[in-house]
Amino acid sequence: MIYSDAIMDYAKLRKYRGKIENAHRIEEGKNVSCGDEITLYLVFDGDRVAEVKFEGQGCAISQASTNVMIEVVTGKTKEEVIEIAKNAENMVLGREFEAGLLGPVLLFQEVGKYPMRVKCFLLPWKTLQIALER
Amino acid sequence: MPLRVSFDDFPTLGKKVNGKRLVYLDNAATTLKPKPVLEKMVDFYIGSYSNVHRAVHTLASRATVAYEEARMKVAKFLNADPSEVIFTSGATMGINLVVNSLLRSGILKEGDVVLLSQAEHHANLVPWIRLSKFHGFGIAYIEVNEKGVLTEEAILRGKEYKPKIVSVTGHSNVTGQVIPLEFVREVFEDAILVVDGAQLVPHKRLDVKDLGLDFLVFSGHKMLGPTGVGVLYGRKDLLEVMEPFLYGGEMIDKVSFEEVTFNEIPYKFEAGTQNIAGVVGLGYALDYLEALGFDSLEEHVRDLTEYLIEELSKLEFVELYGPLDHSHVSIVSFNVEGIHPHDVAHVLDQEFGVAVRSGHHCAQPLVRALARGTKLSNFPNSTVRASVYLYNTKEDVDVMVEGLKKLKGWFG
Repeated sequence: MIYSDAIMDYAKLRKYRGKIENAHRIEEGKNVSCGDEITLYLVFDGDRVAEVKFEGQGCAISQASTNVMIEVVTGKTKEEVIEIAKNAENMVLGREFEAGLLGPVLLFQEVGKYPMRVKCFLLPWKTLQIALER
Repeated sequence: MPLRVSFDDFPTLGKKVNGKRLVYLDNAATTLKPKPVLEKMVDFYIGSYSNVHRAVHTLASRATVAYEEARMKVAKFLNADPSEVIFTSGATMGINLVVNSLLRSGILKEGDVVLLSQAEHHANLVPWIRLSKFHGFGIAYIEVNEKGVLTEEAILRGKEYKPKIVSVTGHSNVTGQVIPLEFVREVFEDAILVVDGAQLVPHKRLDVKDLGLDFLVFSGHKMLGPTGVGVLYGRKDLLEVMEPFLYGGEMIDKVSFEEVTFNEIPYKFEAGTQNIAGVVGLGYALDYLEALGFDSLEEHVRDLTEYLIEELSKLEFVELYGPLDHSHVSIVSFNVEGIHPHDVAHVLDQEFGVAVRSGHHCAQPLVRALARGTKLSNFPNSTVRASVYLYNTKEDVDVMVEGLKKLKGWFG
């Protein structure tokens, strides 16, 4: 089962929910096939991702993945975040990846066994990548 | 007469999914295929397959006869003339053909109004919406209520738009509502009536003449047939004056380097090599359904739908959508309080072997309309959808309901 206690706890986490009024970047992400939507609010401190919050709704996997992502990327440089995002994607797509970079993202490794759920896991990561590359 | 289904004909149902007996409740998306239909298709491919309507050799002749026999079967099934039966790739292509051909023939033009309903799935929305942008016709809607239901009052209100064309589903793929087509015909007596029969036709024998339909589209794969084949019924006098949708071989009469004249109907709408085995397979599927009997099928599905609604209504953590009355057939959409539909569907599949759909069911505007009537604190803009067909049983419903109870316990 992909719904481990740890993932369920992350799905219910409230800490990173909400809007940041003076965000430097706001990015909306959507999974067209299921209607899941998230909005990321990003605050930078120079080259670092200083604070991230999100609004939106979706399945437990997409919600937990968003919370874990925010926990992992906060305080990292943009370059580091892009590297982590690439490895997170590689992990869930069954490619080679660097486990040392991922921390709690590793909780989602099993999601890769369910091709229909991979997009739930990737929604926040794809949205963040677009926000950083823009 | 009770429906007598041989479960041996559906070996998929005997397979285990995740170690559990498969409970297939995603019939609105597509149905399983009976083994006898598949076997006949294999026989056709091996013994009678060739291109149709062209060569004079024996295989070509057998294939042409089989192809045209399928057309006769469909014509008889709908009480139509065989020349009014056009084979397509499915309901979506049927709608695209109708919209484009009506425009090209000047039957639908700038300033006209097309009336759709808010219960349509994307196949009966997007072609009209997009082509209205290029051709300047207007679109109006019959509104759904907070349950996603099209009421007779709402249908009547559509009259103020004076539509030239009315294009509506016969059976909603989200709410399960069977639309009162007789009433629609009565209200819009002068309009060209297009019916999207993707969900309705697999459950009900329609008489296109009796109902006064001008166009009807449906897909083979939702009624035991193969994928990639569907039917467009069109009224003869309309088809005759309509410009074809696809141009190419087979649909022509005379071709020079400058000019083209068209073949007669229905061939002028069947350009290029058709899905020959698909068409023949659809004919076999129809034979299979006719042998079971549409009346028995309808009764079986109605009984099962009633049971499904009854059992789901006992779960206080489940919110149901749609009419929930006698017009509610086969398809039941619902949500589990506090659990996203994807999570519900995933657990039902993994832990209980139950296949249901989750998402917006290719009907985003309708699912958003359901948000108006929801009591959920956080409506997920999607639903879980269970849909029953001839091979489903009450035990199938019980397995899903037990699964829902357990998963509600796990997720809290």
